[in-house]
Amino acid sequence: MPNWIKTYVKLVDALNYRIGRFAMYLLYLLMGVLLYSVVSKGLGTPANWPIEMAQFTMVAYYMLGGPYSLQLDSNVRMDLLYGRWSDRTKAWVDAFSIFAMIFYLVVLLWGAYDSTVYSLGLKWVDTEVLGLTIPWPQTGFLERNPSLWRPVIWPIKVIMVIGIFLMLLQAIAFFFKDVARLRGEEL
Amino acid sequence: MSYDMIAIMMFSTMMVMMMTGQRVFGAIGFVAVLAAVALWGDGGSNLGFSAAIKLMKWYPLLTLPMFIFMGYVLSESRLADDLYRMFHVWMGPVPGGLAIGTIFLMVVISAMNGLSVAGMAIGATIALPELLKRNYDKLMVTGVIQAGSSLGILVPPSVVLVLYAMIARQPVGQLWLAGVFPGLLMAGLFIAYIAIRCWFNPELGPVLPADERAQISRAEKFRLLRAGILPLLIFLIMMVPFVTGYTSLVESSVVGALAAVAAAIIKGRFSRKVFEEATRQTLAISCMFMWIILAALAFGAVFDGLGAVKAIEGFFVGKLGLSAWEILILMQLSYLIMGTFLDDTAMLVIVAPLYVPLVSALGFDLIWYGVLYTITCQIAYMTPPFGYNLFLMRAMAPPEISIYDIYRSIIPFVGVMILALMLVMIFPEIALWLPDYVYTK
Repeated sequence: MPNWIKTYVKLVDALNYRIGRFAMYLLYLLMGVLLYSVVSKGLGTPANWPIEMAQFTMVAYYMLGGPYSLQLDSNVRMDLLYGRWSDRTKAWVDAFSIFAMIFYLVVLLWGAYDSTVYSLGLKWVDTEVLGLTIPWPQTGFLERNPSLWRPVIWPIKVIMVIGIFLMLLQAIAFFFKDVARLRGEEL
Repeated sequence: MSYDMIAIMMFSTMMVMMMTGQRVFGAIGFVAVLAAVALWGDGGSNLGFSAAIKLMKWYPLLTLPMFIFMGYVLSESRLADDLYRMFHVWMGPVPGGLAIGTIFLMVVISAMNGLSVAGMAIGATIALPELLKRNYDKLMVTGVIQAGSSLGILVPPSVVLVLYAMIARQPVGQLWLAGVFPGLLMAGLFIAYIAIRCWFNPELGPVLPADERAQISRAEKFRLLRAGILPLLIFLIMMVPFVTGYTSLVESSVVGALAAVAAAIIKGRFSRKVFEEATRQTLAISCMFMWIILAALAFGAVFDGLGAVKAIEGFFVGKLGLSAWEILILMQLSYLIMGTFLDDTAMLVIVAPLYVPLVSALGFDLIWYGVLYTITCQIAYMTPPFGYNLFLMRAMAPPEISIYDIYRSIIPFVGVMILALMLVMIFPEIALWLPDYVYTK
């Protein structure tokens, strides 16, 4: 395989491993937030933010942890037939069927991007930057959660965009690995 | 093309995609977003992502990582060892007693955890080698562990019932209470089956030899009973604040998870390895579940948009002219058949949204149906070719147990489970009495 593909696979694997290891510990943040909620109730001053904070943490947990879970091969496959195939056949079929997953992730990313743009009220305004007039992003009306706490919603959406994008990178890395396997290489 | 036709095409495309062995979430999500974009163009492109927002707002789902984590802490730190020894010593003198003790052990573990993975791991690592060493019949042993661990999703707390609650929009508390007696009934039927088989055929489950029994003093026997205290405490710490309404469902699950960690620390078994293993596996399993649910929500949204549920209802009621009960029985049968082919999580999130509105349209109680549904899931967990428990068992069992042994071993237990399913269908009170009693007080 060409060198740039090898570098790409190595980079993506390493990046997603690190981010996944970080996301893994968000579980304890989640516990902390919910425990705080229990304690604050006990003290008679219930906090208004833990529920949403916990929801955001959970989203970050599975979105950023997703690529690492792919690396761990924990995502179930229906192995009625798959389980009986040789490694070569598996690689052949995977090299095609991975595009289904890639397509799904691309559409997901598209939706996530649109939604983030909406949450930020993002507009592209012609601005002079370093003497050039180019469209420059400008935030407008910030979407907030309709709750007591009223947090802005864009940070979690940005995290989702990043998470889905990383999933996409990992899926493409899998495609390269399958192709390499068919050519008798192991990436 | 008619909408019904599109729905059928979507369903069959999804089945084909799953057959290729691609990751289940990719297969489901692909069909969902492809259909959405094809049907509704630019507007449909956001459908996949709006499922993520829907998922975020579904608060009870936060119990999922907590219960997974708790299960791994319980099994990795080998907290159940003492518990197993207790049942071992007390049940040893009865024919088949160790197998019966294993069922008891599974009930206790089920009461602490909402998934069947923990029971499976504990059964395979602690009970299985012991039982084989005592010359128990290997078919009996593997069957007992698989059937027993499946109780995890029926006895509260139960993650499957939490997911069902999301789909059916029913209160989780009542669903959990509804699972109590059916779960105990099923455990009782398992025990009855083991006892009867071993009574007529003692070599299936030989009694503990007399000299081995004599080694254990009476005082030692009573000391072992203390092993039961810890699980009871964990269960109470978790469930009492929830039932009294002090903590929410999600908060209770966190309390339970921390109680399990505390128990492991007290026992001196919360090592670095346990911590690492539990944390990593929790991420892996949670991500698997979340991504499948994410994809399936999108799939369900397209199906809703097509009005597929109305079409199915029209087909059963209008075209076939069936009565409500006939449809219910047909639905359970189709579930059992699909359960043998479909992954149980896929079944949960794809088929349930189709059936649940139909059940409520037919005038059945959705709490009761939740229990029926969970029992069907349990059976699906165990039936080849695609059963989660089967794969776990194959991964964990010693090499002398072949995959065909595992397949064969579940047959009688599936029979017992179908009996339990029928009993709960005929006598809904088994499920509904407790929630009615607690919530109408």
